[in-house]
Amino acid sequence: MSQPAPVAAPDAAFVDTPALLTRWHLVAVATVIAFGLVSGVLQILSWQSDGRAAAETQQLVRVQGIKSSLLRADALATTGYLTAGLEPTAKKQEYADTVNGALAEIADAAEAQPADRAALAALNQQVETYTTDVAQAEVYNRQGLPLGIAYQTAASTQLRDDAIPIVDALVKANAQRSQEAMGGQHPWWLLLVGILAIGVLVLVNQQMARAFRRRINGGLLVAAAIVALTTLVTAIAAFAHAHGNNQTEDGAYREAVAAATARTAADSAKADESLRLINRGSGQSYETDWSRQSKQVDANAPSADLAGWRTYVERHRQVVALDEDNRWRQAVVLATTGDASGSTAPLDRFDQRMQGDVRSAAQKATGDLSSGRTLELLLGILTVLLGVVAAVMVSSGIAARRKEFL
Amino acid sequence: MTTRLVPSRRRGLLIALAAGALVLASACGYSATPVPTAAAPSTPPPDKSTCTTTKADLASYPPNIHAPGPTISRIKKAGVLRIGVSWDTYLMAARNAQSNGISGFDIDVARAIAKALGVRAELDVISAGERQTDLENGTLDMVVREYTITCDRWKHIAFSSEYYDAGQKVLVRKDLADKYAGPQDLAGLRVCAPVGTTSLANIEKVEPKAIAVTAQTHTGCLMKFQQGDADAITGDDTVLAGLVAQDPYAVVPPGQRPLEDEPYGVGMNKKAKDLVRFVNAVLQQYAHDGQWERSYRRWLEPALQVPAQPPTPDFSRR
Repeated sequence: MSQPAPVAAPDAAFVDTPALLTRWHLVAVATVIAFGLVSGVLQILSWQSDGRAAAETQQLVRVQGIKSSLLRADALATTGYLTAGLEPTAKKQEYADTVNGALAEIADAAEAQPADRAALAALNQQVETYTTDVAQAEVYNRQGLPLGIAYQTAASTQLRDDAIPIVDALVKANAQRSQEAMGGQHPWWLLLVGILAIGVLVLVNQQMARAFRRRINGGLLVAAAIVALTTLVTAIAAFAHAHGNNQTEDGAYREAVAAATARTAADSAKADESLRLINRGSGQSYETDWSRQSKQVDANAPSADLAGWRTYVERHRQVVALDEDNRWRQAVVLATTGDASGSTAPLDRFDQRMQGDVRSAAQKATGDLSSGRTLELLLGILTVLLGVVAAVMVSSGIAARRKEFL
Repeated sequence: MTTRLVPSRRRGLLIALAAGALVLASACGYSATPVPTAAAPSTPPPDKSTCTTTKADLASYPPNIHAPGPTISRIKKAGVLRIGVSWDTYLMAARNAQSNGISGFDIDVARAIAKALGVRAELDVISAGERQTDLENGTLDMVVREYTITCDRWKHIAFSSEYYDAGQKVLVRKDLADKYAGPQDLAGLRVCAPVGTTSLANIEKVEPKAIAVTAQTHTGCLMKFQQGDADAITGDDTVLAGLVAQDPYAVVPPGQRPLEDEPYGVGMNKKAKDLVRFVNAVLQQYAHDGQWERSYRRWLEPALQVPAQPPTPDFSRR
């Protein structure tokens, strides 16, 4: 059996340059590809996040619309109860339209956000119970039976105790989601990723400069420039977008939420006014809630619209004064008349103003959140492509050194 | 020579996978919106009595139609008698859809007193909880609102003689009425009474197997009855009569022995003894000349299906 040939001991000063080049190539290409990929994905995530913010804001406005519609329906039902069979047809139709509108909004909301479906199904059940009790109340009221009072009061109580807490949970969840989504821009991460990538490229360049006595590798320089420019542009775009989102959140978004809150509180207050007259002798409990709702309106309605609200407040005080003075019939007339002198007309005007405010502010908020999204997506895709271009530049720069070595 | 780091096809696949994973991770769904559960309504315990009401507590002051006194003078001078009444106790005091006023058995009593005084009756709708305070602070001159005479209430206000001998009875579904002989037949049935009353405890004493159901008011119980959540309702027969009149499938089986007596009196301020004497004289006349019976026959008899006589007054209080 022959002895194997002796293996020469490796020279301590020997440097395997091709292997080093391969390693640097690997590191630099992986870095710029990772940069393109991570920065691109961060921007696509932001693009998605802005889309979600717009969608969640729409859903928030939708569920607030459901709440407003339900309390508007209750205001119409309770006021209608006071007029019994002499309720104007237009008001009766408005009640039916408002309830149908709320049911349609529930269906739309369930379609738009699967996470809300269980809550919306429970709400749908509550609305059905409410409308059934209101219908029963109407039947007994037409017969002049006080059982109608029990059905109407139970319907209004059930709406506030069982249905509205579900809508409030939906409002809370969707407000949280839209606010989280609005904070979906990552300018600092984009900067960090870019700086890290440039740092790695500088390091590779230093290593190569030491091995080849050339201070700068052209390919690496171009790649670093691409990374720097891309980082700068995308980070500035992300900062601008984040700023825009903050402005939307503090502006149109808050205006939409506040106007919806004011509208809901106003209709709830009107229902309280009617309920105090329906439940004669138990007025104080409804008056306490009326004051609470009135404070909500004062705190949330745009100051330009408060004059209209104050007209209603003044009429309401007249209704209360008449009721407390045992002039219930006059109080009912003042609370139910469609004339400009009653409490219904200023409330209806305020309701319409708030509805308009909600609509315009919500459109502005969702429009602002959706604007610039296409550019965001294109930048994201472009960043991935520029990462590939940078990788090609790195490869060509290192290939030049490899040629020099060979 | 070029060095291939990773085969290009595999590299593309890895990039696509990484990007896809990141995008998917960001797009995963939200957790479901929590559905709040309805809080159970609080049930205040019934008022605890500090004494036992006996027949002696039904005694009021001797009648005197010409009783002079500061209260009557004040009322006559004002020309108005402020009377606290109910608004939603059908047949006793409820809104009349035709007149938009209030009518019922209690209202007939109230109007008879105002008429005898020669003043206008001002009917102020109050809740049951306001009866005593409104008399004590002088907001009202009197209360005619299913006001049961008790020893506890005598400590704070004064009562007229008893004008209606109400009693706690049971209302059942029409199909159960023929078989109903007493509370022992309520075993396994859902019996409803307003929260905070002693009515359910009285039923449970006789028939512990009766299932207690509560609502805020008696009309709330009738809603439960109509919706199939209660099989029976218990309360004063006057209140049950009002429920029967609103639902053709509800019956107060006749011949029931009251579980508890609920003697109704007109409530007045403790110091207004002149007014109490005057009211007792009016009530005596009201019973004597047949007004009481006419009012009973109009409002309560059709629902209760039993004839009744005005209670015998006791004027032995000094």
